[in-house]
Formats: sequence, C-alpha cells, structure tokens
Amino acid sequence: MISSDPTVTLTTAWPHPPATLALTAIVLFVYFRRYGWTRRAWWMIAAAVVVVLALMSPLATLAEGYLFSAHMVQHILLVLAAPAFVLMALPEGWRVPHWMERMLHPAACWACGVGAMWIWHAPVLCDAAATSRAVSGVQSVTLLLMGAAFWWQLLAPRESDRIAPLQGVVYLFAACAGCTVLGIILTFAPVTVCRAYVHPVDRLGIMPLIYGTWGMTPARDQQVGGLIMWVPMCLVYLGAIFGQLARWYGEEQIMTYKL
Amino acid sequence: MKDAGEAVIEAVLDPSQREHYQLAWLSTVDHKRIGILYMLTGLVFFIAGGTEALLIRLQLAVPNNHLVGPDTYNMLFTMHGTTMIFLVVMPLLFGLANYFVPLQIGARDMAFPRLNAFSFWLVPFGGILLHFSLLLGEAPTVGWFAYAPLSETPYSSQMGVDYWAVALLVLGIGSVGTAINLLTTVLCLRAPGMTLRRLPLFTWMNFINSFLVLFAIPVLNAGLVMLLIDRRLNTHFFLPAEGGSPVLWQHIFWSFGHPEVYILALPAFGIVSEIIPVFSRKPIFGYEFVAGSTVAIALLSVGVWAHHMFTVGMGRPMDVFFAGSTMLIAIPTGVKLLNWSATLYGGRIKLKTPMLYCIAFLVQFLCGGITGVSHAMVPLDWQTKNSYYLVAHFHYVAVGGILFAILAAVHYWFPKMSGRMLSEKLGRLSFWLMLVGFNGTFLIQHFLGLAGMGRRIYTYPDLPGWGWMNMVSTVSAFFMAAAALVVLWNIVASLLSGPIAGDNPWDAWTLEWATTSPPPEENFERLPPIRSRRPLWDDANPDRPDPVVGPEHDGGVSPGIDKNKCGILTFVISETGFFGALILSFLYYNVQPQSGPSAKDLDLMRTGFFSIFLFASSWTMWRAEKALHRGHSAGMMMWLMLTITLGATFLAGQAVEYGNLMGHGALLDSNLFTATFYTLTGFHGIHVFVGLLAMIIVLALAFAGDFHVPVPPPALAMVAIYWHFVDIVWVLVLTVAYILPRFV
Amino acid sequence: MNVLTSLSPGSQGVQSIDSLWTVVIAIFGLIFLLVTGLIVYSLMRYRWREGEPDPKQVAGQKTVELVWTAVPLGIVVLLFILTVRTMGVADPPPAPAPDLIVTGHQWWWEARYPLSGVVTANEIHIPTGKAFSVELDAADVLHEFWVAQLARKMTTVPGHPNHIWLEADSAGSYPGSCSEFCGTEHAWMRFTVVAQSPADFAAWQQAQLQASTLPTTGEALQGEQLFMQFTCVNCHDINGTPAQAHVGPDLTHLASRGQIGAGILDNTPDNLRRWLRNPQEVKPGVEMPNFQFTEAQVDALTAYLETLR
Repeated sequence: MISSDPTVTLTTAWPHPPATLALTAIVLFVYFRRYGWTRRAWWMIAAAVVVVLALMSPLATLAEGYLFSAHMVQHILLVLAAPAFVLMALPEGWRVPHWMERMLHPAACWACGVGAMWIWHAPVLCDAAATSRAVSGVQSVTLLLMGAAFWWQLLAPRESDRIAPLQGVVYLFAACAGCTVLGIILTFAPVTVCRAYVHPVDRLGIMPLIYGTWGMTPARDQQVGGLIMWVPMCLVYLGAIFGQLARWYGEEQIMTYKL
Repeated sequence: MKDAGEAVIEAVLDPSQREHYQLAWLSTVDHKRIGILYMLTGLVFFIAGGTEALLIRLQLAVPNNHLVGPDTYNMLFTMHGTTMIFLVVMPLLFGLANYFVPLQIGARDMAFPRLNAFSFWLVPFGGILLHFSLLLGEAPTVGWFAYAPLSETPYSSQMGVDYWAVALLVLGIGSVGTAINLLTTVLCLRAPGMTLRRLPLFTWMNFINSFLVLFAIPVLNAGLVMLLIDRRLNTHFFLPAEGGSPVLWQHIFWSFGHPEVYILALPAFGIVSEIIPVFSRKPIFGYEFVAGSTVAIALLSVGVWAHHMFTVGMGRPMDVFFAGSTMLIAIPTGVKLLNWSATLYGGRIKLKTPMLYCIAFLVQFLCGGITGVSHAMVPLDWQTKNSYYLVAHFHYVAVGGILFAILAAVHYWFPKMSGRMLSEKLGRLSFWLMLVGFNGTFLIQHFLGLAGMGRRIYTYPDLPGWGWMNMVSTVSAFFMAAAALVVLWNIVASLLSGPIAGDNPWDAWTLEWATTSPPPEENFERLPPIRSRRPLWDDANPDRPDPVVGPEHDGGVSPGIDKNKCGILTFVISETGFFGALILSFLYYNVQPQSGPSAKDLDLMRTGFFSIFLFASSWTMWRAEKALHRGHSAGMMMWLMLTITLGATFLAGQAVEYGNLMGHGALLDSNLFTATFYTLTGFHGIHVFVGLLAMIIVLALAFAGDFHVPVPPPALAMVAIYWHFVDIVWVLVLTVAYILPRFV
Repeated sequence: MNVLTSLSPGSQGVQSIDSLWTVVIAIFGLIFLLVTGLIVYSLMRYRWREGEPDPKQVAGQKTVELVWTAVPLGIVVLLFILTVRTMGVADPPPAPAPDLIVTGHQWWWEARYPLSGVVTANEIHIPTGKAFSVELDAADVLHEFWVAQLARKMTTVPGHPNHIWLEADSAGSYPGSCSEFCGTEHAWMRFTVVAQSPADFAAWQQAQLQASTLPTTGEALQGEQLFMQFTCVNCHDINGTPAQAHVGPDLTHLASRGQIGAGILDNTPDNLRRWLRNPQEVKPGVEMPNFQFTEAQVDALTAYLETLR
C-alpha cells in the first residue's frame, strides 16, 4: 500500500504472488498429509517461514528492482536456508527414486550449489530476473532445487546417502572458495553486475528512504551485496564444516571425568 | 652391538670411523638426517638474522644515532624479517616435522624421500641467493613485504628486490614440496592402528598446516611473479599509471602473509601440545577441541588477510567484515590456550627446561594474542598499526610464542635425535636469560608505540621517553643473544659429553619414544599396539590403559590410499592457488574498460579450435590409462603419443595466437589487459609444456620396457591427473579471458 | 605532554578511540590476569613430588569446553559492536569538498588549502574547534599520515585519494610522522600540525597568501640571484618569483616554519646553512642534490631564504 511515508510503504509491502503462495501451500499440505506432526515438522515450518521472508515480505519488495544487496539476502535464504530446512524435515530413511540416486553424485551436487550463485549473476540473467516476474519465478525454483542438491550430500535423511565426513569438509571448503571468488568479484567490480539495480524504477516511492535515510548508493549496494554473498555464505559453510567434524569424531569416546 | 646412539655420534664426530660420512649427509634422503640438516640451516641463518637484529637495536639505542646509515638500516630490517621467517623459523619447524612426523605415525620414512631432500636443498640455495645480493651491495631495502610502488623499478632500481623475489620463489617451492610430503605421509603411511583420530597433536597440526602451505605459498608465488614481470618486463600490475593497483599487491601478499603466520604458529602449537601433557603427567585436556580448533584456525586464516590493510581505505564494509573475521579467529586460538592451561591443572608438573619454555610460551602468546585482538579492533589499529606497538605484538607471538616453542622442542627432542641429554643447568640458564631478554626487549615496545614511535625508522628525534625506552630494549636484546649462545654451547657440549639419554628419558607416550635414541635407519624394530592416543602409556599401564579411540579404521581415509595419487593431487591443489590468484587478478584488472588491446582482439574461433585439441588430449590420455590397465602397453604408448601430439598442437596454436597479437602491437607491456592475458595464458602454456615433457619421459620409459610388468608403475596415472588438471584450468582461462569479456 | 601520545587525545574522534582503549585494557587485563592466574596457581599447587602417584588422567570435559568457547564468543561480539560504533564516531564520511589536501612525497608533506589557495610544506595549520576534511594523496609511493592526537592514521595511495577528518580541540603543536615505510628517509618524513585560534589561523593564512617581496640589497639580493640562477627553480616554488616548480616543497614562507627537512633540523640560520652546504650529509638519500656551494654562496642563500617569512 503506497503511503506518503516511505517507511510505512515498505513495511506494508508484502507481495503475495499467487503461484508462490499456491506452491508453498501445496508442499506444506502434502508434507503434513504424509508425515503428520512430528518434531521434524518444525523444520518444515521454518522452511516455509524462510520462503515467505524471501519471496513475500518487504525484503522481496526491495529485491525486486531496488537493492542488489536485498536480492542477495533473498538468494542466500533460497539456496542455503530453505532447502537445508526442508531436508532436515524429511523423515528418517527417506530416499529419492532410483533414477535420481545416480545423478546425485557429489561433484554434480557441488556444481549445483556453487553454480546456482554463478549462473544467476551473469549480468544478462541477473537483469532478467530483476525485471521479469516469470524469470524471477524460474530463478526461485532453480535456487531451491539446486540448493537442495547441494545440501543433499550433507543432510540426506539416510546416513548412507551422505558424503563421508572428511570429504564433506573438502566439499564445503571448495564451495566456500567458489563463492568467495564470486564475492570478491562482486565486491570489487566497479562495473555493476546487475544493471537493473543501478537505476531502480521507484514504483512505490521508497527511494528517499533507501538512498536518503539509509545512505545507500548503487556502488555501496553492490559492495554490500558482494560481502553479504561472501561472508555469511562462508560462515554457513564453516558452521557446516564443524558439523562434519563433529560427525567424524562422533564415535569418539570422550572421557568425561569431572574436573 | 654398539648402542645406536654411540654409532651416530661417532659417525658425526669421528671421520675415521665412517669413510664417507660427509657424502652420506650431503646425499641423504633419510628424513631424520634431512630434519637435522634443516635445523642446522635454520641455526646458521638465525645467527645472520640475529646479528641484523642486534645491529638494528644498536642503531636505535639512542636518538639521532649514526651507527649505520638509512639505506643500511633499511636493508637490515628487510633482511632480518625475511631471514627470520623464511630461513630460520620455517626450516626449524620443517626440520622438526621431518624428523618426528614419520616417527610419531610409526612410518619408516616420508612418502617421497627424494622430494624431501630436494625440498631441503632449496632452502640453503634460496638463502644463499638472497644473501648474494648483499655481496653485490644491492640487498633489498623495501621491507619484508615489499609494498608496491616502493618495490617497483622506479623507486627501487637496484637488483635487491629481484634477488629477494626469486629467492622467495625458490624457498616457496621447497615449502610446497615439504607440504606435499607431509600430507601424503600422514594420509598414506600410518602404521596399523594409527587412525587419524589417534594422531599425536604435533602430527595433526603439521598435517593441517600442510594444507595451509599448499594454499598460501602459490598465492605468494603469483604475486612475486607479477612483481618480477612488472620490474623486468615493464608492465604495470602494481603501478598506478596505466591503471595498475598498489593495493592489489597488498591483497595478494597478505592473502599469503596471514596464512603464513599460522603456518609458523600451528607447528609451534603442536610442540606445546606434546610437551605440556608429558611434563604434567596427564593427557592433554580436550584433545578433540584442540584438534578441531586447529581446523577452525586454518579455515578462518584465509579469510582475515585484509586486517593488515585497515588504513589503506578499502571502505567501511570491508573494514568491518575483516574486523569481525579476525576477532572470530581469536576464539579457537583462545580455546587452545585454555586447554593447555587446563592440562596443567590437576597434574604433577615437572619444571624441566622444555616445560619452562612452554609455560613462558603460554603467557607470552596470550599477551601477543591479546594485542592481536586489539589490532582487529579497527579504530585501535588506526592508532597502533605501523608503530612499535605492532612490532611488539608480532614479536610476542613470533618470538615469545613460536621461538620459545622451538626452544622447548629442541630441549625436548634433542635426546631422541642425538642420544644424549642436554644439561639441565645450562638449559635453565638459557631459559632465564631468554625470558628476561625477550620481555625486556619487547614489553616496553608496546609503550614506545603508544608514545608515537613508528616502525622502520632508522633513527628518531629526542622525544620524551623515546630515548630511555629504546635503550632498555637494546640492552635486553643482548640478554637474548647471550641466551642463544648458551643454548648453542649446551648443544655442542652435550653432543660431546652429555649423559646417555636412553629410549624414553621423559617417560613420554608417543611413538617416537618407542625406539632407540637416535632411532635406527628403519626407525622401528617393532611397534607397540596402537589403540589410543598414548600407545606407550597403554604399554606401561596395562591395568588402566586409555580408552580405545574410534574404530580400528578410518572411514574413507585408510592408509591404503595410493601415495602417488595423493602426492600428485596435493600438488594439483597447490597449483589451484597459483592459478586462482592469477585469474582473480585478471578479473580485477579487466572488469574496467581500458584503452588499447582488449579481449576483442583475441581470436576466439581459432583459439577455440585449438582448444579442442587440448580437450581431446584428455580423452586420449584416458584411453592410454585404460589400455595400460588392460595390459596393452603398445596401445598405451600409441594413445600417449597421440596425447603428446595433440598437446603440442595446442601449444602451436597458442604460439600462433601470440604471434598474431604481437604482430598487431599487443605486447606484454601494452596495457593491463595484455599484461594479465599473457601472464595467465603464458603460465598455463608453461604448465602444458611441462606436462608434455613429463609425458615424453613416460613414453621413453615405456619404450625402454618399464611398463611390461604385472603391476605397472604409477607414473602414467600421476601424469594423467596433472594433465587433466591443466585442461580444467584451460577451461577456466578460456571462459575468463576469451568468453566472458565478449558477453559481459 | 603525556609520553603516550596515542592515549592523549586532542580531538573528539581520537577521544572516542581512547574510550575504546579504556574498555579494552580493562577486559584484556582481566583475561590476562585470569588465565595467568590459573597457570601460576597450577604451577604452585600441582608440582611433581617424588613418590607421589600419577595424577587423574582427565582427558577433557565437554561442558567446560563449551563454556570457554561461548564466553569468548560473547566478549568478541561485544568488542565487535564497540568497534563498529567507534569507527562511526572516529571516521565519519568525508565532506563533499576537502578543506585541505595533503600529498605525501618522498620525503616531505605537501599541504594545500583549496579554498584559500595556500600552499605549504610539512607544517600544517588548522583552526581549533573546526573539523577539517582532509584529502590524502601520494605523489610517488605509499605514505601514511599519522598525527596520533588529532586523527586516525591513513595511508596515502597514489592514484586513490583517501579522506580523514582532522580537528584539534585546543591550540598547540601536535607532532606527526609518516608511518608507512617509503624509502631511504622514511624516518625523517615528520610533520607538525599547528592548531591556532580561528583568529590566529586567519592571520596565518593571510600571511601565507602574501607573495614574497624581492630583497633589494646586500647578501639577500645576492642569494636571490643565486637561487634563480642555480637549478633551485627546477624544484621549488616561491610565490612572486619566476620559481614555480612543484617538485620539492614550496619555499614561499620557509622562514615561518619551525623545522626544515621534514623534521630533521630545527629551522635556524645555522641549520639552514648546514642543509645548503650538503643536504646529503644531513639527510642521506634526499632528492635535493649536493650543489657543492661555496661558503659565500651558502651565506647568501641563507640570507635570502631567511627573508621568506
């Protein structure tokens, strides 16, 4: 709802694209129908919340043509957070169909996770996603799927589907390196990668808020976006590495005498 | 039979007993002798670096001093820093690792003994190369990190910087060789029962450290190569005219430099993790956390480099992010320190010399770590960076921490290496001299820095406090020199007439103590059963052994991995760092449009055509491997010849591309695009060429009949891995240099 | 003046850094005492004594580990927040146009005031109570502008201007130096920031804007002629004369400065003579060559330069 106060406009700008709403609802319905309410279901709720945040909140408004850094946050939520939560919500022993099993080779999964970020930052694709609803939809779906493929190696419900812990460390570290390279390029490139964000079209009248009150500029926006892509993603990977190490030591008999 | 200890001492000291002992030492491939050679080299250069330090302190003892002139002084601190890091601490630590990692895992030697020897000899060679510049009167004067533009030709026209750069390249190659060896040895040559989870912490730290070396050194190499090309071939990578960036040098250097300080620190942590438990008579507190925090440090250390650049003007977001990441890395280090301290608690502490040095390490490293965190706090760094406060910080960690750990290690492991005990009295004397000397020299420098004294100044005006504080620092430095002399004297005297040590004088628990002192050539006659982290404790205390650690075999990382594959893979990892740095630099410079030649001048069609040859050669190489696997060595040779031909055709195509570009005036020094293009594709071409040479050698061996055996030698598989890697790099180079610029 | 100049702030920005120091010293001091205390306690209480049994072979305790990971993490978060806050106070964004442009040369500092047009070297005057937005440039290699009491330290990067704020609360002379190693005479690339009351500053500016008056008689005139005749004019600028080069420091008001040679000597006639006799003997490696003047020439030149107030 457009009001005279840009802050109000922004905080009330919760887009509700019907396709997204419908898909989310369907997925939730199917999940609860099949598996009922268990403790793992909370992860599914979390995944839904993340999707809402990413695609149906003021963040989504900002990402849609206003701020590159907002779009980056959206990306991270869709490729890292939501798929991980979905995988953690799946019941123990859940497996993919046979034909898919062979496709989920670690190298392919890694390429999906890292590739998702690279592909959608090719300027031509980035611009398209920022300006066209349809492309943006495709982007969201591919991010979710490719993110799920990436996390499959680490969070698959069956232990035997997962990558071995030490290989997992290498997998994650390489992913961190991959997104670091992109992060460095985005942070330092003087030419903007997503041209759509250089001259945003102010549909809602919130530019004064962004450029005025917040002190944002296109150059700073890209720098912040690059850093958001780089640092939080790598921290997530780092955390996952520790998870892997803990898994590796898992059979450890740690002496627990009292001090 | 003579005591093995006596035999060695005689071999060293009594030539009439061993006819060719000099040659034996010069040509040795035994990890123990190489370890000792490394340490002797470190010692020799320590004398050089230490003398430089004393001269520096003498010059700074009083204000407005004229003991040495500015250029000499600048040379002194440049050589002091470079020598201490690359020619003293690294060789000493590599020497210890070389000697003790194979012993601790129950192996007979390192995975690649000849590579080991080669890696060692690069150290004295590199050191001599660096010091040769002194003889020419043109030693480098630009500081050990050689910031551009000062290190570029217009401001440093003498050869010193070139000698420095080439020497570092040589030394770097040696370090990578050692890292490859250590990694492969730990992964592939562990004795049965020695799973990765049961590794002694010294070995574990060296293992993780090797990954850091593999990443960091090649990045330095890329930077050095670019600097040399700037200096000798007129390009402008780091000169602001024509669009180069002095700040990029800093990014590249510190991307190496920060992991480098952890490369120095991790083995020191390993040393302390061995000694403190032994002299507290209980196991290390929280092994998993010490081991896990090591991995954390290694991973985080590649993400903190720009904390050396808080005053360069990178922009608020960058400063903030690097402040955060640097503060984070303090946590795993702190966890370690707390674990070491907790090991003391509840123990039965024996304050022998190694333990004394370790206790001092704890307090001094704590101090250095704390001042390090203060540097991570950006506004504080804005006051203290490039002042004596910073000098105090890094000497507290490097000397108060790392050097003290090395001295602890020397006193701890000397009995094992020589069969004799060091004198405890002289050990104590050296410790107290060193403690007083070190803290006297560097504690006061914190205050000097806060008083406004900058670093790297050959003299200073008579400002309040500066004079007497510098004098205190200088006088104390001589206590350190005295301590060093006492240590030397202790070593020499004990070698000649110290008491015999026996197998396990400290009653320690790791495998190196399960053999004679010094060990026989094959290291072990027999090994005790290995079920926990302290095999010798279990042996000595069968009624209360340590709990068994983990399953008998590591999941997925069994010692049965082929060491050759492991070796070539680790080499490939190091090359990714090198090409990564070059590719990133290419991107950095070419995102901005420039005048002059550009990617539009490249012939994508022709290069694409020739690239097909290169990619096809990967396929033919795979066919060659398959043929060998099936036992068709004639088929293998044919496919190999085809691979060589295809690779050579690719190179010919590259040559045509180069010729064409140069014909149109696009030379190396035309603009940044050409500079980065030729450097990136040139180094790729060199790698292709080396691959071709390797394949020709394998082919020649095949013709000589080497592959007519039931189990073929691994040479082809290794070259194949290298070759595929070279192809993958070409995909990246093609994308980045030819394809992306056209469509972006 | 307090010996520890870094802890004697002379401006708001540096004061905020100083406050951060206080917090940090307290926290770190506590940590140091606690950990060292633990170590010393253990050393005293748990010494090995002959005949005693082995200690309990404790291998660790997960809870302890988690606590002493979480607590430092908390401390780090706190320090991080304080850091970011202080950065904002100590280093606000620059003004759209600089009040002062400082350029680092090997081995002297050039200072230009774009609004008034004053150009000087090594001695930077500012009025008290007004924050100057300073643009930092470098003419050749990296230098670093450091006046600990008044501003954050900042590198001068050729081709990439940087910006700091420079402000003094009270009048006085504040010493500064180059802190990024920049070659042979990096040690003598010192400068002074002279903070004056606004009235005094205005007066100084006025005086600096006056062109030099030509001496008419005696040694000074001789010196002026020598100056124009020798290659001094190839490097130095004296307003009101044909000497208009900008390679070396501006000399229009040389005699008004406290020091020469970027801090290596106090500005007295005798020292000026020493410099002219052989700059290479005073500051080896400096860009100014040894002209091998005769004593008479040195005296004449000194007399002339002394007129440049």
